[in-house]
Amino acid sequence: MINQYVDTFIRFKREIFKAFYETLDMIFTAMVISLILGLLLGFTLFITRSDGIYRNKTIYFIISSFINITRSIPFILFIIVMIPFNRFILGTGFGVNASKIPLSIIGTAIFARFTEHNLLDVNKNIYETSYALGANTLQYFIYFLLREARSGLILSFTSTIISLLSYSTVMGIIGGGGLGYLAISEGYYNFNYKLMWIIIIMMILLVHLIQSAGNFVAKKIDKR
Amino acid sequence: MIRLENVSKKFMINGKENIVIKDINLSIDKKEIFGLVGETGSGKSTILRLMNGFIEPDEGNIYLMGKKLDRKTRHELVKDTSMIFQDFNLLSNLNVIDNVLLPTKLRRGNKKENINKAKELLSFVGLEDFYQSSIRTLSGGQKQRVAIARTLITNPKIIFCDEPTSALDDKMSYEILKLLKDINEKFDTTIVLVSHDISVIKALCNRVAILENGRIEDIVSLKTKKLTPVSYKEALLDD
Repeated sequence: MINQYVDTFIRFKREIFKAFYETLDMIFTAMVISLILGLLLGFTLFITRSDGIYRNKTIYFIISSFINITRSIPFILFIIVMIPFNRFILGTGFGVNASKIPLSIIGTAIFARFTEHNLLDVNKNIYETSYALGANTLQYFIYFLLREARSGLILSFTSTIISLLSYSTVMGIIGGGGLGYLAISEGYYNFNYKLMWIIIIMMILLVHLIQSAGNFVAKKIDKR
Repeated sequence: MIRLENVSKKFMINGKENIVIKDINLSIDKKEIFGLVGETGSGKSTILRLMNGFIEPDEGNIYLMGKKLDRKTRHELVKDTSMIFQDFNLLSNLNVIDNVLLPTKLRRGNKKENINKAKELLSFVGLEDFYQSSIRTLSGGQKQRVAIARTLITNPKIIFCDEPTSALDDKMSYEILKLLKDINEKFDTTIVLVSHDISVIKALCNRVAILENGRIEDIVSLKTKKLTPVSYKEALLDD
C-alpha cells in the first residue's frame, strides 16, 4: 500500500516539485505584500477609529469597506473579477505572476483586519504613557504599540500565511498552477487519488510547519 | 515653574457639552510638592493632563518652565517632565531595565552611560537585584518603583503623579511616598501630585489645591510631617 504511494510520488516527482515551487513563489510574494500593506492599513484603521488618535470617519470607512468587500466575495469569483486588473498591471490576466495579485489583495485585507484587532488589545493608556515619556507619534508606533502587540501580530501573520496557502490551491483557474491545481487536475480529474492524497498530506505538513514556527516565534518574544 | 492662567476645558459626553475645568488660575514654584485633591470627577486628573500638554485647554494659557505650552512646544517641553501613573503603565513585553531605559531611546544619548544610570536608579529605588526580571513577576509596589526609576532616567524638572499609591497597600504606599520625598530633596524636582487620599497629600505636599466641580475652592499650605511607617496594628489602635 505504502509502496504504491511511494511509486506515485517518484513517478510525479518532477510535477510535484514544480507545483510546490509555484505554490511557494505565489505565497512568498503575497506574504511580503500582505505584511507591508496589511500592517500599514491595520495601523491606519487603528488610528482613524472613532476612539483613535487621528479620528477620521471617511478614511476608516473607505479602508474598512475595502477589507469587508474583499473578504466577502467568494475567492474563486474574486480571482475572475480581478483578471482585467491583472492585465492592467502585468499585461496578462493569467499565469503564476498574475495569480500573485488577487492573493496579495486578499492577504492584505485579512492581515489588516487582524492587525487592527491586535492593536486594540494593547493597553489603552499606552499612548498617554508614550507622550508623557517624550515620544512622538512615530516613536509611539515603533517603541510602544508594535512592541506590545508583536506576539499577537506574529500569530495573526501566521494565520494569514495559512489562509494564503489555502487560497493558492484554486489559483489554477487563471493558470497559477501550484500544489492545489496539480491535486485537482492530475489527481481528482484523472482519477489518480494517490497523487491527490500525497498532495493533501504535503499541505497538512506545510500548515503544521508554518503554525509551529509562528507559535515558537510568538512565544519567544512574548514576555507578558 | 508651572503657571495656569484662566484655564478652562470642556468635553463632549454623550453629545452633551460638559465643562470639566472652569477658569483655573494656579502657580506652582520650583522644588515644590503641590497636591491636587478633590472627589472623583472634580477635574484633578484633567488638570494634570493639561499641565503636561497631553490635552489642550479650550481657554486660557499654560506656562511650563517659563515657556508657553502649545501644539508647537509641547513635545519639547514634555521631555523635561515625566509622569507616574496609578496603574504603573509599564511595557509588559520589556524587562525591568529595558522599561527604565525606554525614555532614553526616545532621546539622543550615550547607550553605555544610560545603562549605568538605569542600574544606579534601580539601586536607588531598591531594585538592584531585579534588572532582568520580567514585569509580570513583580509586585505592585515593585512595579511602581520601576515606573519611578523610568521617570528619573531623563532628569525631569517636573514629575506629575496621578494617584501613584491608590493601587498599593499602606506599607507599599509609605515606601513610594518616601521615595517621592527623597527625589524632591535629592534632585530638587518639582512634584505635582493628584490623589483622593488626604493622608497621602498631608504626608507629602507643601501646598494643596482643593478642587470642586472643576474649580479651585481653596489653596492650603501644609506643614509636612515626617513620614513614618505605620503597621496594621498601630493603624487599628490609632483611635
